[in-house]
Amino acid sequence: MEENYKSGYLTHVIILLIVLIIVGVGGFYARKAFLPDGFGKYGHYRPGAIEDEINRPLRNMTNESCLDCHPFIKKIHLKGVHKTVSCEMCHSAYANHVDEKGKVFAKMPRKQGKEIRELCLRCHNKAIKARPVTSIKVVELPAHLEEKKVRTDHNCDQCHHVHAPLYYVNLAKEMMNMKEEKK
Amino acid sequence: MEREKILAEIRQDRRAFIKKVASGTIAGSLLLVIPAGAFELPEQLPGMKEEKGPFIKGKKFAFIVDITRCIGCGSCCVADKNEYNVPDGNYRTWVERYIIDDHDNVYVDSPNGGLDGYTKPREDLPHPVRDTFFVPKLCNMCEKPSCVQVCPVGATFQTEDGFVLIDKKRCVGCAYCIQACPYSVRFLNPVTKTADKCTWCYHRVRKGLLPACVNVCPVQARKFGDLNDKNSEVYKIMHEPHVISILKPDMGNKPSLHYLGLRREVV
Amino acid sequence: MSPLHGGAAALTNYVFPNDLHVHWSLMIVLYPYITGIVAGAFIVSSLYHVFHVKTLQPISRFALLFALAFLICATWPLLNHLGHPERAMSMMLTPNPTSAMAGFGYIYSAYMVVLILEILFIYRGTLVELKQKSRGFMRFLYGILTMGSDNIGARAMKLDHKIISFLAGIGIPMACVLHGYVGFIFGGVKANPLWATPLMPLIFLLSACVSGIAGIILTYFVIKTIRREEVDMDCVRTCIKFLWGFFILDFVFEMLEVFTHFYMSTHHWHVLESLLWGPLYQSYWVYQVMIFSVIPFFLLGFLSLIRFSDGIVKFFAPIVSLMILIQVLLMRWNVVIGGQLMSKSERGSVAFHPEWLEKEGILAAVIIMVAPIIILYILGKIFPFWQEKRAGHTAA
Repeated sequence: MEENYKSGYLTHVIILLIVLIIVGVGGFYARKAFLPDGFGKYGHYRPGAIEDEINRPLRNMTNESCLDCHPFIKKIHLKGVHKTVSCEMCHSAYANHVDEKGKVFAKMPRKQGKEIRELCLRCHNKAIKARPVTSIKVVELPAHLEEKKVRTDHNCDQCHHVHAPLYYVNLAKEMMNMKEEKK
Repeated sequence: MEREKILAEIRQDRRAFIKKVASGTIAGSLLLVIPAGAFELPEQLPGMKEEKGPFIKGKKFAFIVDITRCIGCGSCCVADKNEYNVPDGNYRTWVERYIIDDHDNVYVDSPNGGLDGYTKPREDLPHPVRDTFFVPKLCNMCEKPSCVQVCPVGATFQTEDGFVLIDKKRCVGCAYCIQACPYSVRFLNPVTKTADKCTWCYHRVRKGLLPACVNVCPVQARKFGDLNDKNSEVYKIMHEPHVISILKPDMGNKPSLHYLGLRREVV
Repeated sequence: MSPLHGGAAALTNYVFPNDLHVHWSLMIVLYPYITGIVAGAFIVSSLYHVFHVKTLQPISRFALLFALAFLICATWPLLNHLGHPERAMSMMLTPNPTSAMAGFGYIYSAYMVVLILEILFIYRGTLVELKQKSRGFMRFLYGILTMGSDNIGARAMKLDHKIISFLAGIGIPMACVLHGYVGFIFGGVKANPLWATPLMPLIFLLSACVSGIAGIILTYFVIKTIRREEVDMDCVRTCIKFLWGFFILDFVFEMLEVFTHFYMSTHHWHVLESLLWGPLYQSYWVYQVMIFSVIPFFLLGFLSLIRFSDGIVKFFAPIVSLMILIQVLLMRWNVVIGGQLMSKSERGSVAFHPEWLEKEGILAAVIIMVAPIIILYILGKIFPFWQEKRAGHTAA
């Protein structure tokens, strides 16, 4: 019952194998072509990624960088108890003010009124417990204002210079011949 | 009279003050005219500027978070968000508040990751509060990172200097690493559509600057330094008697992030 | 009982800030569902081709086409989910050897090749005949599908038979790997207490078999009803028996997992408990277990052990198959999404509500699940689902 066929009994298998080999070899070389440069050199990653991360532009700087151009603030800030507070915390990142070439291109935000109080209370609010006494002095409003015998709608910066909070306080005490309380 | 004397002094001071401000302003405006040029980056981490190779050699960086100092101001979160333009609702670092009442119940919250600071005490608690503290969280930079293990394409990796970084150009956004991280420090950045996480400010460290969050912490609750430098604060802490812990030790990831004064309630 | 008791529980709901968003949603529920159906359908076909379960002969070819229709759609939910689908080929370029997910590219491709080849070899005799009868494009298409040969003599068919046995043979472990690795993707995540278990690949695989068999029974009934053709009752009864057998194993392992953790009652259990008796209570215990596991368990038992009349079997078989298909979908949902509801803070959970029109939303899921049916329809135009029983031309 063996009829005559145009193709041999193995034809389809051979064609199939050829196709599979072409696809396999083609895939192998295609992979090599598309592999990123240096992949696997240090591990299973693209080494260029480290370069990419190193070259990320800096946005924040340090207080020193800000104070380099703002000497008056430098004079009073560095001696005050606020010397550890970051300029960029309140005024936003360095890169919003100075571009990579060092040129000033925009003004920094200056906090006003209620915003100042919000910022002060972020650290100094006694109502939120968990502020270690060794770290920081905390006050509660309006109790603090009542204690100091001033109007309870006063803002923090009316007595405390934001960059050196005890500057005016100490000046006033000197003028009034008051002694500094020893903590 | 007394009053006259005081007024004179105040006027004197005022003049001095105005002089100082004026000179400051003039100096400042001169600077506007004269380009500042490429100014020198302050050297917060000594010896980093000379580092030219792909990896940092000879230094073993450690990050220590001191729970006994954190005041929950959120400056670290603000600095981090500014440094990386982190999209809203995602957090590379955050600060948690733990409140323990006198029935030993633990209440934890982190409103907006602590980004706005903690301005309101919790009013909804049934019992008086016994103790409360803040816990900053960030990438634990594990020695055996689960995220690197599961990334299917090698887009997140561990460098030879121990930093776990993300290759934004290769990440496919499958979110497997986010599922695998036991500390939930990774997230899918909705802008780049890739995974993202705290990198201990690798790009700053390579230039000799402290990580942004360490730099801005007003109470030195975050500390960063080289363990090979015997004069560094981190070396001293790790070699003196202190209560040093890591998070989720039974995960086996061996985090490089250490906590000083960590409490048992923290997960 | 849960340590988070009374009023304190609600106040303590603390979720890590980055845990608020469920990253693996509907698309990732669908992917294991689809590959599960593929693996299960392949097992049905292999029961005939490798294990010679003669009663399954009528659906042995259909099962393969069914598997192929779903396999073609298997990548769609994944590509939809990826943040950068254009970089998807990276999984084939640089697969990370430590990542279970990296296996996807090669496992999927290899399995696709094996499945297509098996279909081509099994159908070759039929396709050659169809080629002679066609003209134009279909003739050209059949020419390609018959791999350029028109030889259907005895020697060629014997060779084909050997190749088919080989392909069906390696196809079984490959189908197991195709779905088992998905189970390992979840089972290997130590950070997630619901997922991290060595039983996960096994549970996934068994529920895959179950969904495949159920899917075939259901579609068999539907197509035969539409075409107004006779249903082979012996075949259906055998399928029901196998479905019951696999489902016993599947259900036992699913329950064993939960029960063992409950019994050991470690910290792991306390986290799981707050999930299973919390946000997942309804979808897990009420729907997945009570309604869609226990009821089909007994239904299948009765249908297998008691010789009911054909009419009763014809009524209940499609219903129980549909219930099983729903059970498997619920299981995928509860595992994938349920696992992400619990925050890694171990102190809280989030809720998940899929939207209709979002990128990975309900509409996209519906489209992806309907597509295999359409593809199956098209495949049916090329490869006849069922053979007419003729002397001398037995199926391979």
